[in-house]
Amino acid sequence: MLSAALPTAAAFTREHLRAPLTLVLLIWIPVFFVLIFATVLGDFATALGGTLASQSATAISAGWAAAFLSGTLAFFQVSSSRGADRRLSVAGLGPWRVATARIAAACAIGIAVSAFAFVTLWLRSGIGHPLHAAVAILSFAVIYIGLGALIGAFVKGALEGSLLIILLFSLDAFSSPEMTSSGALAWTPTRDAANLLIAAGGGQGSPSADWLGMAAVALGALAVALAAFWRAARTRAE
Amino acid sequence: MMLARARTATVMAFRDQRRRPLVLILLVLLPAYVITKSVAETLGTPRRIGLPDGVWVTTTMKDLHGAGMGGVVVAFAAALLGVFVMQSALQGDRRLVVAGFRPGETVLARLLVLVAATALVVAVSAVVTAFNFTPASWPPLLAALVLLGLIYAALGSLAGALLDKLAATYLMLFLVMTDLGVVQSPMFRESPGSGAALLPGYGPSRVMYDGAFAQSFHGIGELLLSIGWLAALGIAVYVVLRRAIGQTAIA
Repeated sequence: MLSAALPTAAAFTREHLRAPLTLVLLIWIPVFFVLIFATVLGDFATALGGTLASQSATAISAGWAAAFLSGTLAFFQVSSSRGADRRLSVAGLGPWRVATARIAAACAIGIAVSAFAFVTLWLRSGIGHPLHAAVAILSFAVIYIGLGALIGAFVKGALEGSLLIILLFSLDAFSSPEMTSSGALAWTPTRDAANLLIAAGGGQGSPSADWLGMAAVALGALAVALAAFWRAARTRAE
Repeated sequence: MMLARARTATVMAFRDQRRRPLVLILLVLLPAYVITKSVAETLGTPRRIGLPDGVWVTTTMKDLHGAGMGGVVVAFAAALLGVFVMQSALQGDRRLVVAGFRPGETVLARLLVLVAATALVVAVSAVVTAFNFTPASWPPLLAALVLLGLIYAALGSLAGALLDKLAATYLMLFLVMTDLGVVQSPMFRESPGSGAALLPGYGPSRVMYDGAFAQSFHGIGELLLSIGWLAALGIAVYVVLRRAIGQTAIA
């Protein structure tokens, strides 16, 4: 299964990177998020009644950059590739292999985006717990791959899907831990990843509950993404 | 004959949008949620800001969100509307051109759809803003929302016509966040820095905050700058799309 899915995954990745501006933005947006937004996110959190310190704000900006880019990408992967994926599936690859290749391509780009954000974060302000921060940033990307793919599975229109992703992103940003005075009452999919990232940015460890919560949500997101890609690739008869 | 064709293209373009009720729902839901939530969550911390013409006022962070968040949401939604309405135009309208329509007629129809959808977002944002914030003067604030919507709809249209949809989406979201979310926002600087005037959101956002917090209007220069941006972008959109649809049809 892997021997057939891997070359397809590489082709899917190349497909997204064909446009030079997309490639530039995939590098520049995470770097920009961390460098510029980090300086204002602390003020933003204070205005909202949160307690996010400057260094933690820098850290969480890296997570949001990875989330925003990966979610949008996953949405477009599902919504705009249905026809091609079904043809590939019918031609002998089968829906599971197509879905595996799609998710591998999304994760490869998600890992690259997370790496740009992580390196920028490390160079700009240093990270107390680099491994924790790297895992948390990657989790943001994986969770949003799941959310973007889920939206793509049910929403065909690019405009509707993009607006939904912005709505979801706004909901996440306003409910993020330490960002709001009522944050303790809100739950969002990235909550545990944000807790972990904020702690890592501030040089602190995290309780195992945050790790378990983050792992559960990230694995759930991967399963959702796989199901969404499979649903998009299967033919009606299957 | 020409008028009849333009009317047909316009009716078809609106019908195309009517088939997608989720777009309309989201164009209402997005401003309603973001404006209400941002104002509700923000504390009333005092903040001194600079308005056009060297006027200074002291307000609160909560009121700054009430005054400015409508503009940010309008720009986000209008930019995406621009990208995807024009991508639809590039896909579908070449058939109309092959069937005998002039490229200008189909572009005009799409522009009318774009203006109508932008007007909807502006109206919803203004109503939601009114529930959460009372500006010193409504006319400049409303004018600024309209200008922001149309300027970003035009920028989105250009991005949609020239780039693939993923790149266009990334670019527009990135531009709105940078321009209106950070560079022009008085939440982070008392008044915009010197480079801020180069960005398209400078004029409308200065007019917006002036209307929100000043009893008399001081933003004539910024208003004219905004109208200049809109005129230049409007011409660019018309020319680029007319050429793109015409060329695609010939190809």
